[in-house]
Amino acid sequence: MDTSIERRSVIKRARHNLRWSWRKYNAVLRVSIASNLAYVYEVLFRSLFLIVLMFVFGQLWKTTYTARGESLLGGFSMNDMIWYLAAAETIATSMPQLTRRIDEDVRSGRLAYLLGRPYNYVLYNFAQYLGERLVRFFINGVVAAAMALLLVGPPHFSLAGVLAWPLVTLVALCIDFAAYFGIGLLAFWTEDTNSFTIIYSRLALVLGGVLVPLEVFPQPLRGIAQALPFSAILYGPARTLVHFDVGRFGGLLLQQGITLAIGWLIVMAIYRVAIRRVNINGG
Amino acid sequence: MNLLKKALSVLRFMRQYLVANLQAAMEYRTAFAMQVVSMAANDCLWLFFWWTFFRQFPLVHGWQATDIVVIWAISACGFGIGMGVFGNAPRLATLIMNGGLDAYLGMPRATLLHVCISATDPTAWGDVLFAVGAFSLLLHPGVSEFGLFVLLACMVALIFASFVVIFGSLAFFMGNTDGLTNQLLGSLITFSTYPMNIFSGAVRLLLFTIIPAGFISFVPLQLLKQFTWPLLGAMLGFTALIVALALGFFTLGLRRYESGNLLGMQG
Repeated sequence: MDTSIERRSVIKRARHNLRWSWRKYNAVLRVSIASNLAYVYEVLFRSLFLIVLMFVFGQLWKTTYTARGESLLGGFSMNDMIWYLAAAETIATSMPQLTRRIDEDVRSGRLAYLLGRPYNYVLYNFAQYLGERLVRFFINGVVAAAMALLLVGPPHFSLAGVLAWPLVTLVALCIDFAAYFGIGLLAFWTEDTNSFTIIYSRLALVLGGVLVPLEVFPQPLRGIAQALPFSAILYGPARTLVHFDVGRFGGLLLQQGITLAIGWLIVMAIYRVAIRRVNINGG
Repeated sequence: MNLLKKALSVLRFMRQYLVANLQAAMEYRTAFAMQVVSMAANDCLWLFFWWTFFRQFPLVHGWQATDIVVIWAISACGFGIGMGVFGNAPRLATLIMNGGLDAYLGMPRATLLHVCISATDPTAWGDVLFAVGAFSLLLHPGVSEFGLFVLLACMVALIFASFVVIFGSLAFFMGNTDGLTNQLLGSLITFSTYPMNIFSGAVRLLLFTIIPAGFISFVPLQLLKQFTWPLLGAMLGFTALIVALALGFFTLGLRRYESGNLLGMQG
């Protein structure tokens, strides 16, 4: 009897904690979205680079398709290629400067103060990151879609692709968070984390298939890129939208799940070790 | 003779600043080395990707597989020298807005030059390392070709620096143009690292005027493939023009500059 009441009480407390945690981080997420929407013109202005990139690639693919005299490259038509680029670039260009923020928290010692606050530092940063990224993602998506419409006309998406895309994109954004947050935490040990950010982001862009679908890569580069986790961040979601395939979708979800789980475990391990190095002196 | 003396004095001044900036960057030796290596690795990764791409999908109109190496090497070397030597130029708009020019106005040297050379971008040296490595190892140039490459890279560096000065100086007239300058610099780099063959008409005109990517990669590529004096003259002429424009914009804008009464120290 007593055990049953205790168990019920524990479950009730856990539910209560979970509800409060959800409300807390949800509030952080909403505040982050609101504060980023306050600078919506700045975000819009920053998407000028995306317009240039889309234009350059539009020209590059136009020349390439004409020079080859083929209507399909790696199974992608010109229309698919540009819409693939728009989808992949929307994800790639929406990344906020998360690593720099974490790096500054560590270096300035602000982290010591933040740790004392009634929230989990990792989850707080995740909620803040997600809010900022969603605003950027939405605006960049509108700009990229407008450019793609201008360049090649309306897309030929399937309904299943459109429905599956938000899910795989959200998981991709979570994987990105784990990677960049982990790199930011390296500030505990290294003088400079910017170098790691540069290398990681370029590997993700090139091997993740941001500019070109992996099908177009020559072998053995294609095989290597497909085996690496970067393809779960950019290529996977963009391909799901443009060329939906149930089998590939299931495979992508599995790949994303494994990548996210491993990434999250690594981040938490780094975080736990790093936190032990924080010294708080009174004053 | 007097002019030559003055030019040598300016070069000495630039060299001393460059040495001081590098010494400051080397204070954090590991971080500096990591930044240089990571930027060189980044460039290598992009070059490898584009080299693979253009081997698989070669363009027509006289495009050769090695052209992408030249385009990347010359753009990276020019950008690297530009941001390595004139590393403070991209911060010009912010300095104007914050009244940060005060520290330079009382100095005996030319203000614009002094502002631009008073900082270095450590990652830019990674671009130079990559460019020299890629050009030497992949193209095996002779001494004269390498000399021409260095000369062209210096001109490209001046074009990059002048470009950011022109748009940074707009802050004198339009308010903060820091974001605009960064966006346009990003666009200039993007346009410079793709073959000019893919652009035509009005865009090509734009790339030889407002966003001078043509003079950063296309003209140097033509000169390195088949040298002609008129083309070198055009390159020199454009470099002189854009430097003069940058100087003119800055001088004109400086008349409108309002001091922020900012207390600063210039080491």
